[in-house]
Amino acid sequence: MNGPAGILELQELDLLRAEVADARITSRLRKLGFAFPDPALLERMRDGLVERIDRRWLNHYERARGRYGRGVAVVRTRVCQGCFITLPTCAMPAEEQPLTTCESCGRILYWR
Amino acid sequence: MTTMIGPAVLDPSLYIPELRLRRKQAVLDELVAQAARAGALRDPAVLRETLLLRERLCGTGIGKGVAVPHARSVAVTEPRLLVARSHRGITWDADDGVAVQLVLLVLSPAEVAEDVHAEFVARAAAVGRQQRNRTKLLDARAFEDVAGVFAELRS
Repeated sequence: MNGPAGILELQELDLLRAEVADARITSRLRKLGFAFPDPALLERMRDGLVERIDRRWLNHYERARGRYGRGVAVVRTRVCQGCFITLPTCAMPAEEQPLTTCESCGRILYWR
Repeated sequence: MTTMIGPAVLDPSLYIPELRLRRKQAVLDELVAQAARAGALRDPAVLRETLLLRERLCGTGIGKGVAVPHARSVAVTEPRLLVARSHRGITWDADDGVAVQLVLLVLSPAEVAEDVHAEFVARAAAVGRQQRNRTKLLDARAFEDVAGVFAELRS
C-alpha cells in the first residue's frame, strides 16, 4: 500500500487507540452510556494494517508519531499544521509521489 | 480547553430536522454528506470509514433513543456538532433496544487533544440523556429551538 489511504487509516486507528487507552475518558463516557472496543482487538487490527503499508512510509509515520504523538499533519494554505512551517511548493504531492513529509518536523503531510 | 457548543460549532447547516433513511449505515452516509456540504470536512470518505469502524467495533447508541456517533479525525476541519432527528426511529443496536430518534454527530479535527474531544462528546451526550432536553429537541419547530437547548448548557 503506497498511497495515502493506508497511512490515513493507520492514523485514524491510532487516534481511536489513544482514546480507548485513556482510563479517565473511558470511565467518564461509559457513565454516559458509551461502549468501547477491546484494546487487544485494536492492536490486532493495527498489526494487520501495518503489514500492508509500505515500509518507508511506515517508518516516517512511526518516527513522527513517537516524537510528536501523531504521524500525519494536515496542510492548510501550504502551512504544516504540525509545526506551522510554510512548505515549499516542491513538498506538494505529485501523481508519482502521492505522499510527502514535512522537511521541518518529518510528519507525513496530508494536503486537502 | 473545551469545545463549547455555540454558534461556531452548531449552525443551521448542521441540522437535519427529519432524516430520510432508517438504516444506520445509510443515516451515517446522510450525516457525512450534510457535514461535507456544510464545509466541515476535508475528506468525507475518510470520515465515513472512521465512523463505520467505531460502529462495527462498539456502536454509539447510548440508550433512550439517542445515538452519539463521534470522531476525532484528520478528515475534519473544525469542531462541529450535527443534530439530526428521526421521529419514526432508526435501528441503531443500542443496549436498551430503543429505536434512535435523535442523532448527535460530534466531530473534532485530529489536532484536538483526546480529552478535549471526549469532553465535547460528553457534553453532547449529557444533553441527549435528559428527558426534558430530548422532548424539546424532538418537538423543536425551528433550528433556533434546537440551538437553544444546547445554549442552556452553557449558561
